[in-house]
Amino acid sequence: MPGQDIQLAISSSPHLRSQETVPSAMKDVLIALLPVTLVSIYMYRFYAVFLIAVCMISAVLFELLFRKVMKKQATLYDCSALVTGLLLALCLRPGTSWWTAVLAAFFAVGIAKELMGGLGWNRFNPALFGLVAVTLLAPLYVGANPSFAPLRQYFGPLDVITQATPLALIKQGAFEQLSLSQMLIASPGGALGETSALALIIGGAYLLYKKQIRWHIPVSMIGTILVIATFWGNPLANIAAGIPLYHIFAGGVLLGAFFMATDWVTSPVTTKGQVIFGIAIGVLVMLFRKALGPTEGVAFSILIMNAFVPMIDRLTRRPKFGELPVKKEAVVPTKPSVSKST
Amino acid sequence: MNIGRAIFKGGVHPEYRKELTASLAVTTPPVPQKVVIPLQQHIGAPCEPLVEVGDLVKTGQKIGQSESFVSAPVHASISGQVTAIGLYNHPLGRKITAITIEGDGQDEWDEQANSVENPDDRSPEELRKLIREAGIVGMGGATFPAHVKLSPPDGKMIDTVIINGAECEPYLTADHRLMLEKPEEIIFGLEVIMKVLGAGRGIVGIEDNKPDAIRVMKQVAEGKPGISIVPLETKYPQGAEKMLIQVTTRRRVPSGGLPLDVGVVNHNTGTAVAIADAIQKGKPLIERVVTVTGEGVRRPANLMVRVGTLVNELLDFCGGLKEETRKLVIGGPMMGLAQPTTDLPVIKGTSGLVALTVEDVELSESGSCIRCARCVEACPINLVPTFIAQAAEHEYFSRAEKLHVTDCIECGCCAYVCPARIPLTQWIRIAKAEVLARRKG
Repeated sequence: MPGQDIQLAISSSPHLRSQETVPSAMKDVLIALLPVTLVSIYMYRFYAVFLIAVCMISAVLFELLFRKVMKKQATLYDCSALVTGLLLALCLRPGTSWWTAVLAAFFAVGIAKELMGGLGWNRFNPALFGLVAVTLLAPLYVGANPSFAPLRQYFGPLDVITQATPLALIKQGAFEQLSLSQMLIASPGGALGETSALALIIGGAYLLYKKQIRWHIPVSMIGTILVIATFWGNPLANIAAGIPLYHIFAGGVLLGAFFMATDWVTSPVTTKGQVIFGIAIGVLVMLFRKALGPTEGVAFSILIMNAFVPMIDRLTRRPKFGELPVKKEAVVPTKPSVSKST
Repeated sequence: MNIGRAIFKGGVHPEYRKELTASLAVTTPPVPQKVVIPLQQHIGAPCEPLVEVGDLVKTGQKIGQSESFVSAPVHASISGQVTAIGLYNHPLGRKITAITIEGDGQDEWDEQANSVENPDDRSPEELRKLIREAGIVGMGGATFPAHVKLSPPDGKMIDTVIINGAECEPYLTADHRLMLEKPEEIIFGLEVIMKVLGAGRGIVGIEDNKPDAIRVMKQVAEGKPGISIVPLETKYPQGAEKMLIQVTTRRRVPSGGLPLDVGVVNHNTGTAVAIADAIQKGKPLIERVVTVTGEGVRRPANLMVRVGTLVNELLDFCGGLKEETRKLVIGGPMMGLAQPTTDLPVIKGTSGLVALTVEDVELSESGSCIRCARCVEACPINLVPTFIAQAAEHEYFSRAEKLHVTDCIECGCCAYVCPARIPLTQWIRIAKAEVLARRKG
């Protein structure tokens, strides 16, 4: 008989698996980041290429190093180090020195991710953790030794980086210098990943289309920012000046909303939790922008809310199936039941 | 496309691959030379044998029964001689006492089994007894004795009977073929069930990937009072009891409750046909449609198979397994049981034999949860599968209980979608069994 010697495997059901794996999901994120990466390279040329290369390579090396030291199997195949490296580079400004980028990658992959147990165990978004770590530490090391300060890369003239970021312009009330359409399509100023709102929206749309992210976090976060930006002050004047849209297109809001706040590992798992998470980030972003300095507000807001994720998950526990509400109207009309004749 | 069609939240869309057998009419292989009939093919008390080794039996003769109410008798599916009564491999994975019959090649029917007398004026009580005596169980795979579902406790009014023609499991087409080939029997079975329960409403739910079945069933149901055919969204697990009830009646079965708590009784199409056969022809449940399919089978087919036929003989009839076969699943690939051997009998609940090949069977290692929440989105029963699995992994069963683990219907959606390949369903099953065991004391 044919097939007599077949070894039959046994395992628990289900016996079919979807095609999606962690590496394939990560690759989708990389693809989604491609538009903004290309715009930033177009804008900042070698500054961008250099930072992206430094961040991605050092992220991979730190992952290898930390796993080696901790005697764990290497997990490069999951591509998460590449995603973290690229996201980190997109958070940095052109001209950032190579060792700042390496230090940021060390904090991102080494401390925030691997020391916490690796992918899936980190409480904070690694890229943002790395960014905020070097931002906070900068006065320390620059203050300790002024020779650190000027260590910038030089790839030729790049006037644009001296330009004030759109957010700083808004703060100064001088935002008319940049038109909304310019900010939407592409404009220099700020970090690599802040060069084109459109590119970020395309990337976000791709992630939504591929179902790698759900709409709840980006929509609630952006919506909250829109609402607060509109109603802070005179709503009509704000709308007339397009201030709400400036707040969305400027700074790290879109990068944060589509790529950082939606980080699977560090966001809530329930729909309700995701909405709460998004709204809270939006509120914090606007508090940072209105009350504090214009730097890294989105990063701080997301990291702060990362810390609350376990609590949000606990508070938004899903109700039992049987206790979920049902719509009243019946699909098939109920006929009066005939008397039970037993 | 039905606008405003009822849907349930969650669920997944696995590749259905029903085209392998969907257009193949049910054929009947030759009567087997030997059958092995387990004394337990249902949920409930096992049967005691009514025959001894050496006895001659006829097709349809009752050869095992139990005094217990939650049980279903078993019948000889061929005529011949009892040659052994002892433990035999069983699709559930352990050995169970079974009666082996060597056929005489005559397929001579037991006369009593074939008697028909005025099915129309039987009382509900008589109908229930006939169904019980015919050994009918839930033929979708759950194998719960049918007569038990037809005997609701006092005070429970049943107003709706749902026939499950969703057949949401990938690959399987047994119910699809029944709806095309025996629609009158299905509707007759439904009417019997409605009569027994005093229910005024009968629904046949069919996934809309079977438009031919919907059409045929609508034609037959035309003008039958209280009966409607409801097209359903094609999504797994549409045929799960709770989903089916929710989308067709907008009622939710409470946690730990049964369909009858919301006035509903569910039966499978195969069960409806078996009931019709029992009432119209006096024929006990000795054969059923089995879909033998999967890329590992040389000639996939829908077969009318005698209960007790050995799986390896059935596979031989279908040309045998291909070299690249890696898994043989009894039932559908989402909820069925993988078998280590082909030396085991087809039982009343065997809806399909699915041979999966190297390409379908992934034996990869699982990683850590990345909290992507795909399982949360996929769970039709509103659980957070990854949290329950984590609780189970750390043997933190009280936490699993708080996360409503006992609501799990084990449909497998969570493990299907998990990109980290965590065997979520398996962990949840472990936690569920532990929690239920602790509750019993």
